[in-house]
Amino acid sequence: MQRVWAAFEDFGRMILFAVEAVAWTFRPPFRPDLVLAQMAFIGVGSAFIVGATGLAAGMVFALQMNYALKQFAAEGYVGGSVAFSLARELAPIFTALMVTGRAGSAIATELGTMRVTEQIDAMESMAVNPIQYLVVPRILASLLMFPVLTMVFNVIGYGGGFMMGVYVARIPIGPFIEHTREFMDPADIMHGLLKALVFGLIVSIVTTWRGYAAAGGARGVGEGTTRAVVSSSIAVLVADYVITFISVGT
Amino acid sequence: MIEVTDLWKSFGENHVLKGITLQVPKGTTYVILGGSGSGKTVLMKHVIGLLRPDRGTIRVGGHEISALEGKALTDARQLFGMVFQGAALFDSMTVYENVAFPLTEKRWKDRPHADEIRARVVEKLKVVDLGEEVLPRFPSELSGGMRKRVALARALVSDPQVVLYDEPTTGLDPITTDYVDGMILNAKNKLGITSMVISHDIASAFKVADRLAVLYDGHLAAEGTPEEVRQSPDPFVQRFLSLWFAKQ
Repeated sequence: MQRVWAAFEDFGRMILFAVEAVAWTFRPPFRPDLVLAQMAFIGVGSAFIVGATGLAAGMVFALQMNYALKQFAAEGYVGGSVAFSLARELAPIFTALMVTGRAGSAIATELGTMRVTEQIDAMESMAVNPIQYLVVPRILASLLMFPVLTMVFNVIGYGGGFMMGVYVARIPIGPFIEHTREFMDPADIMHGLLKALVFGLIVSIVTTWRGYAAAGGARGVGEGTTRAVVSSSIAVLVADYVITFISVGT
Repeated sequence: MIEVTDLWKSFGENHVLKGITLQVPKGTTYVILGGSGSGKTVLMKHVIGLLRPDRGTIRVGGHEISALEGKALTDARQLFGMVFQGAALFDSMTVYENVAFPLTEKRWKDRPHADEIRARVVEKLKVVDLGEEVLPRFPSELSGGMRKRVALARALVSDPQVVLYDEPTTGLDPITTDYVDGMILNAKNKLGITSMVISHDIASAFKVADRLAVLYDGHLAAEGTPEEVRQSPDPFVQRFLSLWFAKQ
């Protein structure tokens, strides 16, 4: 019972932390250079792993769909089903999980180390708010870069699906493209990008909070990082279900 | 300059501070001695507003720190410089960026010109006997003593009225310890800075202190000039000091 209460208390603190971060976002001084640096770290730094995952996912998904649809002589729909699945589901969720593993863990470790070595206290003692200096740029950068990375995943994933479908499964280019246009709607892309935005918010808040609240030396930082990755991943999966349910129903 | 009145603080069932009252006059060095876990750092973090008291007040230079929040507290912190136990230098920044940090992060209307920032960084590094060659180095490339000196330069760069030292000599060799003691005395004598030092290093404490207090079990077991504290009849103080004086 005590552990459940502690978990609720921790969640409440995280929500207050998030509210404080939102409040500091709109107060000067604004630090665009720090936001750009975080965009480079979270966005550019994660582009390779997101692109590689997208390529693999698109290629494998195209082969699987080709195998399934061939039974109904409907191979032409491979392009459409790959694009549709990538845009609405695979791209935002895979991107969020990959970025959590790469950048989220680094954020939690960096802030946790700064906490236990008193660098955050030092910043505060120098009249600089650490939430505004350390947390806000990471949240803003995540909100901007998660949708961008999701689009990178979409494009490369579809490219991978196209290569497998057209050059390996020998599906004619015409039906492949035409059925993609039939299946897909700009709203599908927007649905995925909305998810990416929400996932970016969740991952950045959870990972910065776990680092910011770290305590107890190197072990505390390690535990904070593990909890950051696990909690973010679970929260992303739950949010994915909720958004999908609200969007498409049963 | 610093007035702490009836300060109480607990963390759960752990009662760390139990009614601390002390005054630090302007331009003096006040040392708080105490064993590990006696609450020295907690007391210091209250003075700079990093922690909030359960009861009691802290006034520094006319500001009631314990009652301030948000921007008012941020502004009041401009009065302070603080040297942390492990130096707490930002390890992703160079020495220059570390020392310049309190200036570069001021609001744009208060921020000095880049040339002035550089001049002040070099000047403060000179105060702690460091040359311009250390400017591009990262903290991981410095020795423990150099890190403490850079931390003091960073604490002094915005010309604070009060400097707080958290265990400034812990983990240093005797020569560097002597050097750090000299820095604390210099900051007082040359710059007229009010200093508060927390330490368990009795030799350093008696060397730099104008006034001294011994913190034990959440209250001040003794308080006064170094000589007055040395003569204190309190059994803990006698035991705490005798171990060191017996060695002399």
